[in-house]
Amino acid sequence: MTLTRQQGAAGHGNLSTPLIETRGIFKSFGGIHALEDVAVQLMPGEVLALLGHNGAGKSTLIKMLSGAYTPDAGQVLMNGQEVQLSSPRAAQLLGIETIYQNLALADNLDVAANIFLGRELLRGGVLDEDTMELEARKVLDRLKVNLPDLRKPVFNLSGGQRQCIAISRAIYFKARVLIMDEPTAALGPQETAQVNELIQSLKQEGVGIFLISHDMHDVFDLADRVTVMKNGRVVGSSPTSDITQDEVLEMIIAGKLPRGQAASS
Amino acid sequence: MKRLGTLMTALLGFSLLTAPAFAQKPVVVGVSWSNFQEERWKTDEAAIKTQLAKLGATYISADAQSSNEKQLSDIESLVTRGATVLIVLAQDSSAVLPAISKAKAEGIPVISYDRLIEDPWAFYISFDNKEVGRLQARMILNAKPRGNYVFVKGSPTDPNAALLYAGQLEVLATAIKSGAIKNVGNQFTEGWQPEIAQRNMEQFLTANQNKIDAVVASNDGTAGGAVAALAGVGMAGKVPVSGQDADKAALNRIAKGLQTGTVWKDSRTLGTEAAKIAVQLAKGTKVAAVPGSSVFSGGPRKVKVSSLLLKPVVITKANLGTLITAKWATKAEICAGVSGALAPAACK
Amino acid sequence: MQRVGTTAVSRVPVMTRLGLDSRLIFMVLAIAAIWIVFHLLTNGIFLTSRNLWNLSVQTASVGVMVSGMVLIIVMRNIDLSIGSILGFTGMAMAVINSRIFPDDTWWGAALTLLLGLALGALVGVIQGTWIARLGVPSFIVTLGGLLIFRGGAWLLTSGQTVAPLSDSFQILGGGLNGSIGGPWSWTVGLVLMAVILVSDLRTFQQRAKRGLPNRSVLVQAGFTGAMLLLVLGFVLVMNGYADPRSGLPRGIPVPVLVMLAVTAIMMWVVRATRFGRYVFAYGGNPEAARLAGINTTRLTIMVFGLMGLLAALAGAIQTARLNAGTNSTGTLAELSVIAAAVIGGASLSGGSGSIPGAFLGAVLMASLINGMLLLDLPSAWQNVVQGLVLMLAVTLDVVVQKRRVK
Repeated sequence: MTLTRQQGAAGHGNLSTPLIETRGIFKSFGGIHALEDVAVQLMPGEVLALLGHNGAGKSTLIKMLSGAYTPDAGQVLMNGQEVQLSSPRAAQLLGIETIYQNLALADNLDVAANIFLGRELLRGGVLDEDTMELEARKVLDRLKVNLPDLRKPVFNLSGGQRQCIAISRAIYFKARVLIMDEPTAALGPQETAQVNELIQSLKQEGVGIFLISHDMHDVFDLADRVTVMKNGRVVGSSPTSDITQDEVLEMIIAGKLPRGQAASS
Repeated sequence: MKRLGTLMTALLGFSLLTAPAFAQKPVVVGVSWSNFQEERWKTDEAAIKTQLAKLGATYISADAQSSNEKQLSDIESLVTRGATVLIVLAQDSSAVLPAISKAKAEGIPVISYDRLIEDPWAFYISFDNKEVGRLQARMILNAKPRGNYVFVKGSPTDPNAALLYAGQLEVLATAIKSGAIKNVGNQFTEGWQPEIAQRNMEQFLTANQNKIDAVVASNDGTAGGAVAALAGVGMAGKVPVSGQDADKAALNRIAKGLQTGTVWKDSRTLGTEAAKIAVQLAKGTKVAAVPGSSVFSGGPRKVKVSSLLLKPVVITKANLGTLITAKWATKAEICAGVSGALAPAACK
Repeated sequence: MQRVGTTAVSRVPVMTRLGLDSRLIFMVLAIAAIWIVFHLLTNGIFLTSRNLWNLSVQTASVGVMVSGMVLIIVMRNIDLSIGSILGFTGMAMAVINSRIFPDDTWWGAALTLLLGLALGALVGVIQGTWIARLGVPSFIVTLGGLLIFRGGAWLLTSGQTVAPLSDSFQILGGGLNGSIGGPWSWTVGLVLMAVILVSDLRTFQQRAKRGLPNRSVLVQAGFTGAMLLLVLGFVLVMNGYADPRSGLPRGIPVPVLVMLAVTAIMMWVVRATRFGRYVFAYGGNPEAARLAGINTTRLTIMVFGLMGLLAALAGAIQTARLNAGTNSTGTLAELSVIAAAVIGGASLSGGSGSIPGAFLGAVLMASLINGMLLLDLPSAWQNVVQGLVLMLAVTLDVVVQKRRVK
């Protein structure tokens, strides 16, 4: 880690510098190239949709950004300064929060324990359960989530409730970069609307969001820009206002830019 | 039949004729160990070697490392290396039989050492386990001719444990029948574990409100557990306890008066006797003609074999000194922490 | 999203509504039933101070180890080597005590214990490192450990029993001089009661003040009252058994004090420390724990180190109790410990387990053996009954789990 959270925050609001940027990222697993020369950029307050088939490299990219994988080569910059995402903890300290598709909750722990997992509040070196419960209640209230008992294990909660816990974790720790892997896949329409509303409000606060979704409607509703990947490479990026859904689909399937479109970024 | 007998006699006569030339050849004793990793066999080996050296015979050996298959090939290779007589500590008393048949075919005598091999060709030498049980019971009976007895038996999976208990009951049968002795508890001790013997003894004491007058323990380990339980209620030294093996810890307890006695099976005697018999057999003595031998048929398949069952020795406070003389244990080991007027003669 | 929290509320069992753990209550009832049945069958011997005192000492060795095993099992691991580590460290302590500190001094005994505990922890850390860093399954590594340390116990003295041990060291075993006497037992009991009362009261008040949900006052009072009565009864029973020499109460045996302290500390570790929280998080979802930035390698090593330490502590108790180091001490102890943990609610698929439950599991199994021995039942029957109880307990669990999932 070369950068603390405070230093990183100094560059906040400078709209010409990307919040986070990757340059020439390579990653391979046992000779198979999962990422090749990947460059993506995310501006503050921007929602960038990452699109592509399964195996296109999206998951590897976000695991790398959240510190779970280290790249074989390449750079990651936050606010123009190079950072090392050597572990999940390092990424968290830089303000990168990730909401995984499989939700990454420990089913046997209660709601508060899951929200604070790995970053428990202590008092005198001992877990401060009461404060954690109160804080959890506050952040869930902010998300308008109604869970009667925060001291119960999460295993019998619904997909939507579990998703809310994962999101409140990111919110509580004030994410500056939020990575959302299929955030609405497990949700009903009402809950989906709620998440979408939340994304809008986070945007307002200047949070940069990577959104991975298969739902083209969601993508066009929420994202400012799309980046399409195929076979570990970036096919191209484009503002959602400059491209149609059909063109995006063509990029995903064909793996090349639609006719008449120049590579924008 | 008679014909055949005559033929055999003739053949024997022929071999006897050649015997002088045979006897000139040095006796080579091949010993097949089942698993030499176990500490105790080192004592046996030393005794065998010493005795063979005295008798001018040569010692060769092989270690089967607990493998039945290896023991079979070990025995073959011992013969190839020129063994004229074999001492076999069987890894498995049935699995070793083919090797015994082969030895018989080549006319090489076999001694089954410590563990029974049920083949009349093999001469069986061991300690008498039932006798050990009898000695244990007799030792306790002498100390306490009447009262409540408990039996701390050995492992339920060890056939010796049953033999010991049978021997114990044999001695006590009349006293039990007359009502002088009451069997108020008997428990096997899983794996001969002292800690289990201790727990069992605690429960004997609780169930009988401490009214226990004697403890027949099958070995020194379980005796140690029983003594620890007695110590927990302040009864150690007041209740006779038997044992077996002459463990150094037990000898110390005997010197301190916490244990009545133990039964000593000196494996060096076993080794020495086996070496003597081996040389005799190699020189042509037939198994049935070995001095002091008797017929043993107490094995699982009741095969009659010639045998020498050595008498174990009872060790009590009175004769602890014999173990010091025999260099089984040192005076320091036996007498650690023992002093005063009650100290046994050996510790003075 | 407002109506998200609906599914979980319906059909809440009574125990949960009262804020009590149904499993623990059930286990207490099962133990009570077993005790009463044995009391009747033994014509009033089972529930005497003397026998319960015995029972408590007989539980100590398994009781000390079982809380460590709970953490191991919660982390989806197993430790088969603890019986052998117990034997190995017990033998090592016997050798240290009788050869290096032959004079009876308190510091000689203390150093013996410390060296033994350090050896146990070291052995556990080595096994844990092997498992966590090299990725070899714990079943295999600790199966190896089972063989290695049993052999090691033998090799330390070529199989010779080492005895006797110093009087100071024997105190750990709870023998004739191994209990703390009447006055100290009352002191311990009263302090414990004060701690329970104050901490329950404070927790209740604080949660109420901050607007956090609480048990109802009545239930909390009943619960706290039951705990106080339990402590009171325990001290009374332990003081009811007299020393045969002086006729004075023996009081709480030292190994039982050790077991209770270990259990209390481990309950606190699980409830109040990050370490305990992470063990359960890892058991619930190893990937989630890793992604949350938890150092799972270090966690595994620490848990196995702790297990080794506790096995050594049990080794000290067992060796001191027997007043001898023997190479067979602790053989098959791993099975009793695993059985107690599982009866107490530890699931071999990981993520769930309870320290007080496992403790009660140890008490339950020890009660069965204790009672059957009073009845002089053959050991073969004792084994059959223990096996049946283990299967019954786990089957009950599976059935309850299935119903809960529905």
